Amino acid sequence: MTDALTRETSANLLDLAGLGDLEALALIGLSKNAGKTTILNHIITAWHETGQTRPLALTSIGRDGETEDIVSGRAKPRIYIPTGTLIASAEGALQRSDALLEILELSNVRTAFGEVILCRALSDGYVELAGPSVSDEIEVITRLIRKHEPESLFIIDGALSRRSQAGSGGIEQIILAVSVGTSLVPDDLAEKTAHAVNLLQTPLIDEQKLQLLSAAIAENPQARGILLSKGNERTHYKAVQLPSLVGFGQEISKEIKKNTFLLFLGGAVTDHVVTELLKEAEFANLTLVVEDGTRLFLKPETMRRLKHRHVLLGTLNALNVCLVCLNPTHPNGQTLESTPFLVALRQKITTIPVIDLGPANR
Amino acid sequence: MQSSVMITSELLQQVGLPAVLEATHCRTPQGSRQKNAARVYGIDNKADLEQELEAVDNLVILIRKKHPHLVETTTQLARLRELRGTFSRLEHGTLLDDTEFFELKGALAIFSRLSKVVAVTEAAGVSFKDTSKAAKMLDPAGKKNPAFHIYSDYSTTLEDIRSRKSVLEKQISKSKGADRKTLLTRRAMVIDEEDKEEDRIRRELGIKLAESLPQMQHNAEACGLLDFRLAKAELAVRWNGCRPVLVSKTQPAILTYITHPLIATHLEKQGQEFTPISIEIRRGTTVLSGANMGGKSVALKTIFLGLLMAQLGYFPVCESLQTPLYDFFAFETSQDGDLYRGLSSFGLEAIKIRDHHRRSKTQNGLIIMDEPCRGTNPGEATAIVNALSKSYSASDCSLVIATHYPITPLEGIRFYQIRGIRPEALAQLPPLPEEPTAAEVDKHKRSVGISGLAQPEMKQDLTRVRRIQNMMDYRLEEIDGSHAVPSGAIKIAELLGVDEELLREMKTAWQEEQWQN
Repeated sequence: MTDALTRETSANLLDLAGLGDLEALALIGLSKNAGKTTILNHIITAWHETGQTRPLALTSIGRDGETEDIVSGRAKPRIYIPTGTLIASAEGALQRSDALLEILELSNVRTAFGEVILCRALSDGYVELAGPSVSDEIEVITRLIRKHEPESLFIIDGALSRRSQAGSGGIEQIILAVSVGTSLVPDDLAEKTAHAVNLLQTPLIDEQKLQLLSAAIAENPQARGILLSKGNERTHYKAVQLPSLVGFGQEISKEIKKNTFLLFLGGAVTDHVVTELLKEAEFANLTLVVEDGTRLFLKPETMRRLKHRHVLLGTLNALNVCLVCLNPTHPNGQTLESTPFLVALRQKITTIPVIDLGPANR
Repeated sequence: MQSSVMITSELLQQVGLPAVLEATHCRTPQGSRQKNAARVYGIDNKADLEQELEAVDNLVILIRKKHPHLVETTTQLARLRELRGTFSRLEHGTLLDDTEFFELKGALAIFSRLSKVVAVTEAAGVSFKDTSKAAKMLDPAGKKNPAFHIYSDYSTTLEDIRSRKSVLEKQISKSKGADRKTLLTRRAMVIDEEDKEEDRIRRELGIKLAESLPQMQHNAEACGLLDFRLAKAELAVRWNGCRPVLVSKTQPAILTYITHPLIATHLEKQGQEFTPISIEIRRGTTVLSGANMGGKSVALKTIFLGLLMAQLGYFPVCESLQTPLYDFFAFETSQDGDLYRGLSSFGLEAIKIRDHHRRSKTQNGLIIMDEPCRGTNPGEATAIVNALSKSYSASDCSLVIATHYPITPLEGIRFYQIRGIRPEALAQLPPLPEEPTAAEVDKHKRSVGISGLAQPEMKQDLTRVRRIQNMMDYRLEEIDGSHAVPSGAIKIAELLGVDEELLREMKTAWQEEQWQN
């Protein structure tokens, strides 16, 4: 809905999210059809209208920008890019794009839709983004983009988290998309969004722990779990190799000792995983570390139980949510009045701008 | 005709050829393909093999000199992608997509750059054909950048369509609502025209490029050949290999101070050294004898791998090597009986003996047998091994046989033995050496393999075994045929602490045996 409130904020989108000086930005949705592509289209328009000189460089984790959502079959907004934009997308997706694209580089990154190719748009036009399927390969794409357009704003539709690697020290910026599909009750949606923002912004662990853990990860890049424990004079670590975290909680919890002060888990940390860990009495008074905030899938109740045990959460890479965007259209097609949702969201989330950008002009 | 290699894949693995191929680092898919299809040059391809060795030798010189052209060569090779699919579609007139045109454009730039590194291409004995006509087609405006799209320069029609589209796009960027929708619909119609014209151009471009297909294919293969030869040369430098000299088939193979590069690396990791060996292999039979633990199997593998590498156009790791070209290579050991398929090991051996013998009547081969008839009763085994030695002694083949059985000297049979441990040195050793020191045990702790898993007592035994190995002189020496069968097994048993009572029995039985003979 483009009411007065949203129109005003739409023009200030770049300022609100602080995009003017950013190098990279990730768009993350709280649910499917949360409106990430709409946000992307808004950013592109705002970028173009404000006469930014730096080009945009776009890719996605997995596939996006198709005319139809593969899951729901509902029409999805396409991405309309201006001349000069760089895109990294799979061959198959490029064939369905209508902008005139100049091929700059073949990435050797393969997806189900073919190799990811880096192109520059020589005309305006619609594109479909289907980038690397795993976030590790984003590194390859980032390198290629920086080679051709070192100054560009690189936007990734999807999480840009790097697996098991301590961050470069920089904080990754995120725009979070939320839809009324998550809850039709404004206060409830606000509660859930605030919780998600909280998890995404889980802070970086302190420098000393970061150094110890980074060294242990470097020696055991495949380990699912790493435990740091205080010894007599020095810190010891134990690496646990597991096929996944789910179903192997006990394998990790049995390694937790009284002097364990840090537990790193690689991969998604869910309520189920934490419940398994909580069965172990020694799982207390320590820091539970994940790669970044996108790896945490925990209900408020689980967070309370962790707090009760004095278990703190920490990350290897800090994320910063710079903007929350509301999509008032329910996945069933019904569009609701956004004002009550915005009011509720802004009450709960006071430090981050919350806006409804309205439908993109596409 | 190419030479054939008759060896089971497990044994080939043990001999080390797959590891040699793996250590040959090709940079292009074309080079890797040539490596995987590597042929053993036969007598009919002697000139080709000479050319191959010459090329590798020339490249070795350039690498040692750190020739500046090598950097450009390796950079360009590393960028080359697989082109077979694109070539095949071009050949069959299938419409190429823009990615394939981009790939071709990239490849043509690589060909052009490589054709300029004359020092390297001449050394490697490869030549590039002129493909500038094709390159120009993919860069109609002569911009010399690697990017590609269907350029407006290809047709005035396309140029016109795109300028109309561009006008519309400018209008679209300033419009909103219904106007925008109308403009987008109009744009979609122009895009339809653009798509059709682009496809027409792609088709035309494909037909024109197909005219240069033979030159492009030639160049892609040249890249592969250059890559493979360069990889062989880099390996030769890394391993300090030596160019083999090819001699006529009546002349012997002479291997001087040859090393097995992989076993040597393995030993190095354990802080030990490989003893290079020297041997002359003439037509006829060469018998290799030596005490247990003397390294007969390693010597045979070293000889086989060295001669095979030479005939594959590789540089064996030695001081010098001359070899005739063998029509076939065979390596047999009675250890590789296929228990799983329920075949008896002697059954398999008999089949191999039969086949090689038949083949030897018309071809000259290098046949290596590591302790044939090991599991057969000694009387018959001695008879079989003697018959084999005698039969091959008069043939055009070279049979190298390691055996413990006594072989009757004959013309055409030469004898080598591994020096081993001098009997005096052996006799002077105390029967059961004192417990290995903690430092000695500790020294072997870090070594890989079985010892890493062994229990403490077993570790002590392994240390003792190593101590004996350290006394071994692994060099080969030619001896006359009337030598005694090498002994020393009982002494080794003694050194390893076999109980006195059992040892006494062994010694008595051995004395009786010698007395009877």
